[in-house]
Amino acid sequence: MRIAELNRQDEMIYPGHNACPGCGAALAVRYLTKTLGKNIALVLTASCWSIISGMPPLTALKCPILHCPFPSAGSVGSGVRRGLDARGLYDTTVVVLAGDGGTFDIGLQALSGAAQRNEDYIFVCYDNEAYMNTGMQTSSATPFGARTNTAPYPLYKEGEKKDIMQIMAAHTVPYAATATVAFPADLEEKLKIAQSIRGFRFIHILAPCPPGWGTESADTIEVSRLAVATGFFPLYEVRNGNEWRLTVPADMKSVSLSEYLGKQRRFKEMDDRRLKKLQHEINRDYERLLDKVAKFSAEV
Amino acid sequence: MAFQMISGSQAAATAVQRVGVDLVAAYPITPQTAIVETLADFSAKGELTGEFVSVESEYAALACCNGAAAAGARVFTATASHGLAYMHEMIHWCSGARLPIVMVNVNRTIGAPWCLDPDQGDSLSQRDTGWLQLYCANAQEVFDTVIQAFVIAEELLLPCMVVFDGFYISHTYEAVDVADEDEVRKLVGPPVFAPQVIPGQPGNMHGLSTGETQLKLVKDRHQEMLKLPRLFNEINRAFEKQFGRSYNIVETQIPVGAKRAIVAVGATAETVKWALPVLAETGLIQLRLFRPFPTAEIRQVIEENEITELVVVDRNCSVGMGGIFAQELRSALYELQRPPLVRSLILAGGVDLTEKMLLEILQSTGNEENFALRWGDEF
Amino acid sequence: MLQAPFKETAAYACGTAAISVNKTGEWRFLTPERQIRLSPCRQSCLLQGEVPSWLDAVKRDRWEEAWQIMSRNNPFPALTGHVCFNPCQENCNRDQLDQGIAIRDVEKAIGQWRLNNYQPSKAIIEVRKKIALIGSGPAGLSCAFYLTQAGYAVTVFERSAHIGGMLALGIPEYRLPRKILKGELEILSSEGVVFKTNSNLGSDFDLNDLFAEFDQVFLATGAWIPRMSSIPGEESKAVYNALDFLSNYNTGVPQTLGSTVVVVGGGNAAIDSARSALRVNGVHHVTLLYRRSRLEMPADQSEVEAAEREGVELIFNVLPRSIDPADGRVKGVTVDHSRTDQNGLLVDSSNSFYRECDSVIMALGQIADYSALRNIKSAKTIFAGGDLTSGPSTVPEAIRAGRLAAMAIRSVYENLPEAELEMLSGEAVSFEELNLAAEVNLELQQKESDPQREAERCLGCGTCNSCGICYFFCPDVAVDQVNGKFEFNLDYCKGCGICAKECPSQALVMKGGGM
Repeated sequence: MRIAELNRQDEMIYPGHNACPGCGAALAVRYLTKTLGKNIALVLTASCWSIISGMPPLTALKCPILHCPFPSAGSVGSGVRRGLDARGLYDTTVVVLAGDGGTFDIGLQALSGAAQRNEDYIFVCYDNEAYMNTGMQTSSATPFGARTNTAPYPLYKEGEKKDIMQIMAAHTVPYAATATVAFPADLEEKLKIAQSIRGFRFIHILAPCPPGWGTESADTIEVSRLAVATGFFPLYEVRNGNEWRLTVPADMKSVSLSEYLGKQRRFKEMDDRRLKKLQHEINRDYERLLDKVAKFSAEV
Repeated sequence: MAFQMISGSQAAATAVQRVGVDLVAAYPITPQTAIVETLADFSAKGELTGEFVSVESEYAALACCNGAAAAGARVFTATASHGLAYMHEMIHWCSGARLPIVMVNVNRTIGAPWCLDPDQGDSLSQRDTGWLQLYCANAQEVFDTVIQAFVIAEELLLPCMVVFDGFYISHTYEAVDVADEDEVRKLVGPPVFAPQVIPGQPGNMHGLSTGETQLKLVKDRHQEMLKLPRLFNEINRAFEKQFGRSYNIVETQIPVGAKRAIVAVGATAETVKWALPVLAETGLIQLRLFRPFPTAEIRQVIEENEITELVVVDRNCSVGMGGIFAQELRSALYELQRPPLVRSLILAGGVDLTEKMLLEILQSTGNEENFALRWGDEF
Repeated sequence: MLQAPFKETAAYACGTAAISVNKTGEWRFLTPERQIRLSPCRQSCLLQGEVPSWLDAVKRDRWEEAWQIMSRNNPFPALTGHVCFNPCQENCNRDQLDQGIAIRDVEKAIGQWRLNNYQPSKAIIEVRKKIALIGSGPAGLSCAFYLTQAGYAVTVFERSAHIGGMLALGIPEYRLPRKILKGELEILSSEGVVFKTNSNLGSDFDLNDLFAEFDQVFLATGAWIPRMSSIPGEESKAVYNALDFLSNYNTGVPQTLGSTVVVVGGGNAAIDSARSALRVNGVHHVTLLYRRSRLEMPADQSEVEAAEREGVELIFNVLPRSIDPADGRVKGVTVDHSRTDQNGLLVDSSNSFYRECDSVIMALGQIADYSALRNIKSAKTIFAGGDLTSGPSTVPEAIRAGRLAAMAIRSVYENLPEAELEMLSGEAVSFEELNLAAEVNLELQQKESDPQREAERCLGCGTCNSCGICYFFCPDVAVDQVNGKFEFNLDYCKGCGICAKECPSQALVMKGGGM
């Protein structure tokens, strides 16, 4: 994918929005709206983007945005899709945009209900791994060992990061994929695939947050690259719950987990025991993923 | 005229079918299940114009309605009790979002502990959310009110809750004139309210606002809601023409010279109507509107009839203050030159109103300690 | 006309106005700034050419822009594209990825574009001063180009009948097609350069004559006196010096060399002579003798390999001792072996052989002729450059000398900014310094034959090459695309630094200081 082509698509986002410098979520939504085009309707639940989208009469996006309460993203999206269909606007793509809170935690019920009903829209979760908009509190998407403002040093997040993709696979949705901002061509391709399918589509984008993760604002792309390379956030897709494909493999031999964690103050003073546990979790999950990928490609 | 022997729930569902909606989002809860099941039946028979979708919770049902209405669709859902409470955040949101959603709430107690009896606290505790609230006393009223609710909601761009008692109305059968589709649709045209989701142009709907903006918006809603009485009367005139029946904002049956009245809402009003002949010098004031509160109409009734004493039957209790209808009435009548005495009968938990209770209350002399407030378990 | 979503609550409840009124540039305390660092190609280029910049222009299909950048240092890319030995390609960082960029091919393409699209400049030449250039080789031609461009009236005096110096007389057609040279000369004439051929400094006129008529003089007469070896038999008619042989060969003067030729020497002139000799009617075999090893040959290796492929016999570590004359011609050459040690070159006469041949071409180097500098009547500054002052060198270096001379001449009359004369300094950007991880634009590819596609492969070391990554990774859409190039919109840039961090080319830095 050549950058010249990617650059030719129109921007759907206005400069002047209030995202923090280096915001991964701003980039994620920039790519998302650029790729999906002008004929979209965005349902937006409480998250950083509720604020980044601007205070009316101002708006940060060129498409219509419908704000909704925190737990309701999945359900409001179901309604918008059906309402547009009732008006004959079948070609408008409905995109439901939520943070990790609105997807993994308070929004999980709506997500599950919509996925189970195979609601016809694209659910995009931009995951900055905590409740960042309210000031960096722990969510179930926070990785093991990370510190947040509700698990401040010397405390840390004790449970593992919830595996939302497995949950989506268990719902056998037509298409679910992970992506991140360092691989925009990969993200673009996945969005295009999603846009060409009907039914429930789920995109999980890792979006680094400089203030929340304690990274330099300039490091956002680098950090998301390392997340993929260390196997922490592999890039893959799964269709119908059982067709697994890896799109960008990890490269754990060249990049160590410490390199990734070292760039983030939220992982400061990860002692050896915790580091080992996290590494074990990553290895285990990546192996399991590889198995599924291998099994599927053997079947094909 | 087309009569069917149906329950209150079935009447509500039939009204929705007659009107023609784009979407019904359904979640079951006792005692509303017959509403969603009847609508599902219509859908199965191909008689429901829109989609019928079973969602995963009441919150989801209202959220789904919110999304569809924002996209310009006519929508309906129903719930009760815990379901309504669960939706609470969304209920606020729908009003602030100015969406013409019609929702039936079948009154049922909210626990703890579990209780299925028709306490009105569920709908009344949504008092401040900015929804229109209309209360029905029998199945025919339910049918007619649901139809009118769509017109009202779409005209005022405020969501409208149609409320009736669980079991007493939802599960008892009456002969209801269910009209036919064409007749109803002559009265209620297709949805013409402007959608909020308009693809192809920017529109940041319901994004972060300042307090100042919020004040403007609240004022808008308040002033809009206060237009209901006039609109209600207009619609009922049209209803009279079309169907030969109509309703008043405040229904009264006050014998000449009677200086006191029993205020009742919903099924209890029917009980009072039935008991009136044996209640000396007492009238009935039946409230249909809870929001907006029919202040002007009530004051007029009180003044015209020179009422000096009201006994308000509250199948609810705002713990720490008392019966909710009683509170609202006191508040509405406070500025009268000679506000009547407002006495409370609290039947929280949906306890049945009996003739015995009424007779005993009305025979009080006024010196009893509990003159102003009687509880349903004292009889 | 935007539809109002609902009645009473109008614009203040639904947002339709762009948030761009919010100038987030005010948040900044670091600002991105482009920098230019030396790239290996630029560092090696004999002309100090801004290689990555003109590659970028070609990539964006902006040929006029490419020409403008190119001509700042090199007015004759069509020529140099043919004859330069491309030191720029030797250290190309791309070579460490897949294959280095074929810079020369793109340069040739720019040159061809120039020849095809030349329009005479519409500007009226302000005849500020009259300058005389002596010698129409690359140094003189280059100086003519730059002076004419700056509004000076230039006359070029050439002693031979042919214009071009080494380009016309030294370098064979197979290395430099003459139609290219013709094209460049036509352009110079159209621009107003006056050429006077058959005008020899010394015999036809002298420096005093020039001083009388012209404001300044630039001597670029090159190095045309052949070095000979003074070995017995050298005076025979069938022993030629490379300069004469090549001049005749390149101007179509028929020469008879017999069937076997021996060429002596190891420089480019020797190889040119050997390969040209092969092409002369009747010649069947050419042997080249060089006194040192192959690796020590000053000639360009690609030329040596070409000669070998064409069948020239190369013998190293040999030195002719004497030439065997016969009837005014030559019969053969006696050759000694030689070797180099810490004391220098050693000739081993005990180890020798005889090689039969019909003619010998001596390519032992050239020296410059300074005789014209005698007898100057007045004390005057004279400008000089090219092979005349450096000794035998290369075409690109001569072109550079011509440009510097033009700058120097202009400095007499004008106030030229320092930058024009300055060279970029510092370490060239190494491959390790490039940030190639930005996945979007990088695919391993072999050399492309289309110049524009080849230019796309350039990594732009140290120079912005419009890859667009800064634009692409900006969360604030604070980079604008203008004519295929990327500019920072400082009204909105928050100074996050992602662009500088991700720039693959080391062309961006964050500087302290905000709005």
